[in-house]
Amino acid sequence: MTAIAAPLDVSSRGRLRSIRPGLIWTLVRTDFKARYHGTLGGFLWALLKPMCMFIVLMGVFSFLFASNPTYKLDLIVGLFLWDFFAEGTKSGLTALHARGYLLTKASVPSWILVVTSISNALITLAVFTVVMTVFLAGAGHMPSPSALGAFACYCLALTAIVVGFSLAASVLFLRYRDLNQVWEVVLQAGFFIAPIIYPLDILPERFHFYLYVWPPTPVIEFSRSVLVAGVMPTARGHAYLAMDAAACLLVGIAIFRQLSPRAAEFV
Amino acid sequence: MAVIDVDRVSKAFQIPSVHRQTVREHLLGVFEPRRFQRLQVLDEVSFEVRQGEALGIMGRNGSGKSTLLKLLCGVYMPDSGRVTVSAPITPVLELGVGWNPELDAIDNVLLIGSVMGLSLADIRRSMDEILAFAELERFANLKLKHYSSGMSERLGYAVAFKAVRDVLVLDEIFAVGDAGFKARCETKYRELRASGHTAIIVSHDPRVVATFCDRALLLDGGRILFEGTPQEISQRYVSTLTAAAVQPQSAASTAS
Repeated sequence: MTAIAAPLDVSSRGRLRSIRPGLIWTLVRTDFKARYHGTLGGFLWALLKPMCMFIVLMGVFSFLFASNPTYKLDLIVGLFLWDFFAEGTKSGLTALHARGYLLTKASVPSWILVVTSISNALITLAVFTVVMTVFLAGAGHMPSPSALGAFACYCLALTAIVVGFSLAASVLFLRYRDLNQVWEVVLQAGFFIAPIIYPLDILPERFHFYLYVWPPTPVIEFSRSVLVAGVMPTARGHAYLAMDAAACLLVGIAIFRQLSPRAAEFV
Repeated sequence: MAVIDVDRVSKAFQIPSVHRQTVREHLLGVFEPRRFQRLQVLDEVSFEVRQGEALGIMGRNGSGKSTLLKLLCGVYMPDSGRVTVSAPITPVLELGVGWNPELDAIDNVLLIGSVMGLSLADIRRSMDEILAFAELERFANLKLKHYSSGMSERLGYAVAFKAVRDVLVLDEIFAVGDAGFKARCETKYRELRASGHTAIIVSHDPRVVATFCDRALLLDGGRILFEGTPQEISQRYVSTLTAAAVQPQSAASTAS
């Protein structure tokens, strides 16, 4: 039997601040296992979707943009980052609902349920980073260590954006059960708003600002800039991305803090 | 010394005249305002549980028992009042429905065990014991979607009895499994109590409350109606049930 702890007011969810590594690891591992049937083959099968997408788009659009010698490299960078954004936000949005069976059983830190739900998308991104680096090296564009470092920072910013979105959307999804369908439509439009299959400079410059408001755009453009063109974006650009990521994360945390204490009542 | 202090706790749910759960329903119903009915589930409930004591909570369906347990365990937040807990609680709420059907028993035990606060090393060390208690050693690698409700409930109790830290909160204990499993649960419960664990038991069964509790409460309409010895409360609970069953009949005979 454990010793008596200091009195705790459970009316204020204070204890939910505690981080439990065992719980985090179990959630990540079981999520991976449930999704990919616990096998490497299942995981590789999941990688097939974006790979096939890449091959099809490359086959079709490389003819259209034949004048752009780095089109294939730009496409692979854009597509893999987009895949992380789309998969991460979709998993995050339904995280509390999908793990509602844990939320109603004990005083479990609900933010951990949301944050760990994007772990699969993160693992896929890590694998794709290796695939992408090999592809770039094969095409004679081996990224420098500083380029890879900058790319890691952009991935971190995108992760903050995905986490911020997931925190807010997961609690809202418990109240609005068709948000996943709405988000599917937004993602479909967002795929074309972000310059993934086309180079940004085919659009008039006056529209660029609007495209940069869509969070994946600066991440994709900056990543291409450092990995493919070998050019570091401006400090102003970096400041914009950092502020964008921080704003998404803070707004997400604020909405989550407001709504999550009563999340179990809506499961 | 009180390990749980419930001080004037109230909880109400707003029940809408029309349930709207989607963005589409909210948009289409924007010109049709809903009426909300306030359902007061708990109303200024106060009590305390002392270290090493077993408290029974009885009451009819809808009297607020399950909501009260969820408030004690930190699953729900009270609208007003305070719940102060000075010891770790292991809740056993609605067992048998809290599993991931796509995972086998071992992974589910790891998941629920870590949610209940056990370390992974502790769970792995106790895995054989947990499976043996639930008599599920042969089905350890079977996905939970293939389990019967009885099997998954047995597994739930086996994990909870292993995970118990200080206070054990049990919703309808000993209502699971066959006679052999119930006897094992009762033995385990007595062992835990003998080693000084505190327990809160919600039950409809007067025998359970009278046998396994030191003190009991009778909840009705979200308020504590009586507080006393388990035998007293069990009798009063049976009387309220009888009165509730007689009232509609006498009303019907008066009307005729």
